[in-house]
Amino acid sequence: LLVLAACGNDTQQKPAGPTTAAAPVQAVTLKLAETWGPNYPIFGDATKKLAAMVDEMSGGRLRITIDSANKHKAPLGVLDMVKSGQYDMGHSASYYWKGKDPNTLYFTSMPFGMTAPEQHAWFYYGGGMELMEKVYAKHGVLSFPGGNTGNQMGGWFRKEINSVDDLQGLKMRIPGFAGEVLAKVGAKPTNIAPGELYTALERNTIDALEWVGPSLDLRMGFHKIAPYYYTGWHEPGTELQFIVNRKSWDALPDDLRAILRTAMQAVAYDMYSRAYHDSAENWVAMKREFPEIQVKTFPREVLVALKKANEELLAEFAAADPLAREIIDSLAAYQTKARAWTAISDQAYLNSMPE
Amino acid sequence: MTGIVMFVVALVLLLLGFPVAFTFGGVAVLFGVLAQGWDLFALMPFRVYSIMQNTVLMAVPLFIFMGVVLQKTELAEQLLESMGRLFGTLRGGLAVSTILVGALLAASTGVVGASVVAMGVISLPVMLRYGYSPALACGTICGAGTLGQIIPPSIILIILGDVLGLPVGDLFQAAVMPGLVLVVLYIAYVLTRAHVNPVSAPAIPFVGKTQAPLQQYLTALRAIVPPLSLIIVVLGSIFAGIATPTESSALGGIGAILLAVLYRKFSWSMLYASALETVKVTAMVFAILLGATAFSMAFSYTGGDQAVEGFLLQLPGEKWGFLVFSMLVILVLGFFIDFVEISFIVVPILAPIAEALDISMLWFAVLIAMNLQTSFLTPPFGFSLFYLKGVAPPQVTTLDVYRGVVPFILIQLAVLLSILITPAIYGLN
Amino acid sequence: MNQATLKLQRAFERFADTLGVISAVLLLGLVANVFYDVVMRYLFNDVSIGMQELEWHLFSAIFLLGTAYALKVDGHVRVDLVYERLPPRRQALIDMVGTVVFIWPFCLLVADYGIDFAAEAYSIGEISGDPGGLPMRWIIKGMIPLAFACVVVTSIGFLLRALHRYHGIDVATARRSGLS
Ligand code: NA
Ligand code: NA
Repeated sequence: LLVLAACGNDTQQKPAGPTTAAAPVQAVTLKLAETWGPNYPIFGDATKKLAAMVDEMSGGRLRITIDSANKHKAPLGVLDMVKSGQYDMGHSASYYWKGKDPNTLYFTSMPFGMTAPEQHAWFYYGGGMELMEKVYAKHGVLSFPGGNTGNQMGGWFRKEINSVDDLQGLKMRIPGFAGEVLAKVGAKPTNIAPGELYTALERNTIDALEWVGPSLDLRMGFHKIAPYYYTGWHEPGTELQFIVNRKSWDALPDDLRAILRTAMQAVAYDMYSRAYHDSAENWVAMKREFPEIQVKTFPREVLVALKKANEELLAEFAAADPLAREIIDSLAAYQTKARAWTAISDQAYLNSMPE
Repeated sequence: MTGIVMFVVALVLLLLGFPVAFTFGGVAVLFGVLAQGWDLFALMPFRVYSIMQNTVLMAVPLFIFMGVVLQKTELAEQLLESMGRLFGTLRGGLAVSTILVGALLAASTGVVGASVVAMGVISLPVMLRYGYSPALACGTICGAGTLGQIIPPSIILIILGDVLGLPVGDLFQAAVMPGLVLVVLYIAYVLTRAHVNPVSAPAIPFVGKTQAPLQQYLTALRAIVPPLSLIIVVLGSIFAGIATPTESSALGGIGAILLAVLYRKFSWSMLYASALETVKVTAMVFAILLGATAFSMAFSYTGGDQAVEGFLLQLPGEKWGFLVFSMLVILVLGFFIDFVEISFIVVPILAPIAEALDISMLWFAVLIAMNLQTSFLTPPFGFSLFYLKGVAPPQVTTLDVYRGVVPFILIQLAVLLSILITPAIYGLN
Repeated sequence: MNQATLKLQRAFERFADTLGVISAVLLLGLVANVFYDVVMRYLFNDVSIGMQELEWHLFSAIFLLGTAYALKVDGHVRVDLVYERLPPRRQALIDMVGTVVFIWPFCLLVADYGIDFAAEAYSIGEISGDPGGLPMRWIIKGMIPLAFACVVVTSIGFLLRALHRYHGIDVATARRSGLS
């Protein structure tokens, strides 16, 4: 899962850099609240880049000021604050709002779902944006892709998972929908305050936890206390979101709207590259400094059970709400289509590659 | 600018003596609404809700409950008195015992509000009854109660780990030595003070002269074991992985009840009175947090944090100059702003500079943690001081508390300096 | 300053006491709740997110409702460097002015915006996002406006007590009760 800034994070934000031109007339300032701290790697940089980009592209007519979690103190209040107009924009992750609106769940990443490129294709060309708009319309908010972390790791485990039996009673910190899937096969998702995660894992209060991936796990130090690093299954391409208050958006002149839209798309892609880069770099560092880390993949039997649980849950969600069904069907259909291409392109290429 | 005015106004108004929590809240309304309009306060429920969801803070009521039960059943008294007696004719034994118990509590919680208040409930009345000077008693409790912030687990270290991108485990390890050094120095100070000024810290006489000395020591030991083992069970439950630090404080509460039953001191009315007392003290602690979050909201949304940032960017750009000045800035800010705000406003600005100067981040983090620990004790806005005053009997004045912490602040500064000058001693660098 | 206002003060104080009783019961519930969760997890390897969430629901209700109670028993800490040296009439005046100038604007504002905050949760039917978490988030969010409103209500009793003290009638209250 994404990092939930432990209640109030990081520092005050510089306003977007000043422009060299003379003070422009009618500059618009949008206030943005983000779930993370500004110095939070990758995520925090994405909003800073957005602010710099729109400033430059608009010749200083569009400014974005960023308030990080340290300032607004409500990492999980971003949707509410944008909805109620306290802020014009937000940068967060859609699945955080699952408890407020179950249909927001599908726009971040789903277990056994699409990879980042597949999902981007779905968003921009496969009807994803339209569905996301439909879901967010009732909150008076527009939503846009806001940067992808790439495939997230399955988490740090103190013991090996060799069978579904090993999952029985496994106490794991894994929130949200993925936790529900695990619970369905007998694991015990457990809430632990982020600040106590390290101690809890170290002392075996819990058996496992999931965080993000090499790009952000290294700084948590979990590799020192849990030998097994499992590959991912539950968040194959975690997309953040920019959300914009509808009224603030409508009040923008056409050109600024175009600038903002373009900048958000550019930043989203940039963050994906950046996350890929950091994960690659950090993984090299982790392997070098901690050769004892053992990368594992869940055995087939376990993944089959998890996938089955996942499908059953999705079927329940689909049965409960027509819009949920529409989204789930769209995701599934697009994944089938995109995956067939992935199979004979990237997958085939990687598999065929000589050592 | 508004930020500075806010602090001055708050300071003056606090001196009027109206409850701290609401004075903070009122000043926040005054400045926040003037500068930003009513709607600024639409953000308050989010801030309150964040405090509500911060489960680590649950340690506050749970710890206080344990302390109150131990106090109401006189088990805490028995523990401290007996520990004090073991010192025989050596004066200051009660204060030393308080520091030792404080260090043990510190190892099981990272929430200062929890340990200071629990210590205040447990040991302040005992020390006063044995004729300790109120200032020394208060200083000892504030010092010992605030140890929780440097001795792991600790909230400061967790936040610093997050802000500086350091593994929490490494930070915890690095902070153990400085914490222990503080404990030793506190004890040394108390013993010296008791020696120089015997009236301030009398020895506890053995009751009844009939018993042989050995017998008396055994009796004292017997009295110590149960309450002390309770504290050790709390600690042990964390190390054994039975409970998280927060949860361990609930085990402490249950354990205290069991002890009461064991000693035939349990009654339902005692339990109810303990719960009610806990509610009152907990509310006192959290009301301050609620007022303070409103205050910090008004401060940062009226541009206060930008002012701090602008100032920080003018720090000297050479290693030792930077280190000394950044420590001074944090220390001075600590008089006014609470440690969370400092960690989030100041540290992220300093961190890249420190990194560029090739300063070891772990060392830097420990320096900051030690420095921030001091902020709990520095008047006028020292949270430990508020908390202790909140549970102190009426005859203890604010001035007693302020006066009492000065030596402990100086000790902390000395340790801070020693970490700065000779990090090698602490295994840093 | 007559029997009626004294009666009124007592009525407000009874209200505050009730909040204290509720919080005290919730506190015992919290201790039991956390203990139960630890035992279930450690001995029976069973975890319920709902029970875990109940912990912070209880915890926050305790300190929120307790804040009003603490006002009645004068549990909120003061910087009394000057205050303790003032004559009772001056102290009473500070308490009266402080109630009107500090408590009311602050608490009414938070209570007012807190209603919107809870109403939003109610209107969208917000629940926990975690497996087995608690439903009806509006209840715990509603504790914010409720608690701040309770402080305002209790503060009227606090104000009346100060008013009586100002006029030389010191009604025996639970000041410092239970402490020391
Ligand atoms: Na601690
Ligand atoms: Na201070």
